[in-house]
Amino acid sequence: MWKWIQAFASPQNFYYTAKKIIPWFLYPFIALTLVGLYWALIKSPPDYQQGDSVRIMYVHVPAAWMSLFIYVVMAVAGGIGLIWQIKLANVVAVVSAPIGAAFTFLALVTGAVWGKPMWGTWWVWDARLTSELILLFLYLAYMSLNNAFDNPKTASKASSVLAIVGLVNIPIIYYSVEWWNSLHQGSSIGVTKVSMHIDMFIALLLISFAFKFLYGVLILMRARDELLVREQNSRWVKAVVMEGKNND
Amino acid sequence: MIDFLLFDKYVYYIWFSYLLTFGIIIILFIRTKSIHKNTMIQLRIKYTREK
Repeated sequence: MWKWIQAFASPQNFYYTAKKIIPWFLYPFIALTLVGLYWALIKSPPDYQQGDSVRIMYVHVPAAWMSLFIYVVMAVAGGIGLIWQIKLANVVAVVSAPIGAAFTFLALVTGAVWGKPMWGTWWVWDARLTSELILLFLYLAYMSLNNAFDNPKTASKASSVLAIVGLVNIPIIYYSVEWWNSLHQGSSIGVTKVSMHIDMFIALLLISFAFKFLYGVLILMRARDELLVREQNSRWVKAVVMEGKNND
Repeated sequence: MIDFLLFDKYVYYIWFSYLLTFGIIIILFIRTKSIHKNTMIQLRIKYTREK
């Protein structure tokens, strides 16, 4: 198993394997998005209290889940890179940051757009919203710190430490609605109980999985380019670039 | 069919959210493609100079 991981994690192997894997993420992403949109906009019923505005949930909640998920991936990958010096782990951490920041931005904006008709305001300095905004700042700080160094190794070390320290914000975001009085509603999905209509739950799941596959596509595509830059002195990269072996 | 486009009084809020999501996904793909293109150009220039 360890040998397989080592072989897959070698930059050259990953570069070629990633290209083969990309369609396995791209086509499910497209299919799940189309079916998810049908479920979210047509099939799922309006909420008995919130009416049709509940349809914003199908993009807001998956985006918020992705913002947390990607941050955890980024911090764990950064930690692996820091401890075991695996190049690919650092690459995964670095390329995840802008994607995570985009999902966090999306969660914040769609949340504000949902908040206006439901709460009567775009924004409140409530624990959930504020901690999610801090998450966006953590992503931006990670990217800035990573770009502040010329040497990618030093940059990865510094930014990984920041990512790991920032992990403390993840449980704060998740439990903020339980720990503090919040305008934000609590979770409707528990481990054993789902307190929403089945069609709403299906729509939510479809778009959540679509976003997961989207992240897969983007991370594979971006990691390949980041590897080319970091391994630019290797013979295989020169071959890829000059002989057009990647056929891109 | 047109009913599903209207969503009562929430039409602007809902469609803005979905269009923003679509826009961000498109931007992420375009940015990824442009990073790839720039990387290849920069590396080709570097290797050509080294020859």
